Amino acid sequence: MTRRKFIGRLIKAGSMIAVGAWWLTERVVPRRFIRAGLHKKYPGPLKPLGDINETSKWSG
Amino acid sequence: MKVQCELCPKRCVIEPGQSGECRVRINDNGVLRTVVYSFPCSMHVDPVEKKPLFHFLPGSKILSIATVGCNLHCRNCQNWEISQANPEDMPADFYPPKKLLERTRQYGCPSLAYTYTDPIIYYEYTYDTAKLARQAGIRNVLVTAGYINKEPWRELLKYVDAANIDLKGITDEFYRSVCSGTLKPVQEALVEAVASGILVEVTNLIIPTLNDTEQQIRELARWVKANMGGDTPLHFSRFFPHYKMRNLPRTPLKTLDTAREIALAEGLNYVYIGNILSEKGENTYCPSCKTLLIERTQYTILKNELKDGCCPNCGKQIHGVWK
Repeated sequence: MTRRKFIGRLIKAGSMIAVGAWWLTERVVPRRFIRAGLHKKYPGPLKPLGDINETSKWSG
Repeated sequence: MKVQCELCPKRCVIEPGQSGECRVRINDNGVLRTVVYSFPCSMHVDPVEKKPLFHFLPGSKILSIATVGCNLHCRNCQNWEISQANPEDMPADFYPPKKLLERTRQYGCPSLAYTYTDPIIYYEYTYDTAKLARQAGIRNVLVTAGYINKEPWRELLKYVDAANIDLKGITDEFYRSVCSGTLKPVQEALVEAVASGILVEVTNLIIPTLNDTEQQIRELARWVKANMGGDTPLHFSRFFPHYKMRNLPRTPLKTLDTAREIALAEGLNYVYIGNILSEKGENTYCPSCKTLLIERTQYTILKNELKDGCCPNCGKQIHGVWK
């Protein structure tokens, strides 16, 4: 094996390891967020709210 | 891929397609999204005393909103039907921030409350609305358990005028066993809120056998005085059997009266009793000359003697936002 061929294989193997490590990290380490983006659709039913002027039955 | 929500101390790691503990922040293809932005499930015009806020624009009306969900799961939750519900099961209406402000003006409310469940979990909706409300001259009020991380809390407080924050107990064990939370982040949020300069009132729900000993109440009052100041209004609230805690009795009036006496003796100037009719426990007295300043029953102001926020008898300035 020539020196040129050896270095080529070394670079190829190194980059494969790096891509693999990046791929694995992407899947294992979660992406962190404080602020959430907006979801397009409310997952529940949409319905007009009741009498707003009435004092709430909820605490607070 | 997984996402991690850094909004509250639970720091939920969420699998694709799933939601965090609050049920309303989801992993949508590797991006954290809120499903309740602009979708309140409840909206009412309440008296501000109901929050409870006794030192903030007394006698005023406040437009109060909530979405479903909560990051705590208190076994005694009074609003569990909305706080522990999935958005899929709870009807809501579309109210983007601008429409919410229009409603606030329409009902003649000087302020807007983010309440009933916990504004922490509909953080983005609260934040954006509060920012617009501040520009429009409408005051913002949070009613919260204060279970949030420092960075988002500081950001939100910039647009808040007043808050009622629960201090549900004074031991970490209580928070872990009853609320599925921890004590320290709540204490930090309380201190941070006071440091930000907003009006902070504290509520402690007294539950028989769980957090009702004189020692626990004294410790809580001492902590409030030492870390938030003697002028911080403290509300002791009566427990009623609810949700997963129906085995315990209502808090006796005597326990609430004793709690009030302990807190006053520990040096807190404004201590109240809530969720029950009480002769003196809902009134504000001057801490210097003991003159009756504001007389209340339930959520109604019977008498307000304050003159420009001061006692008419001795002239002492009373802590609060009065106009």
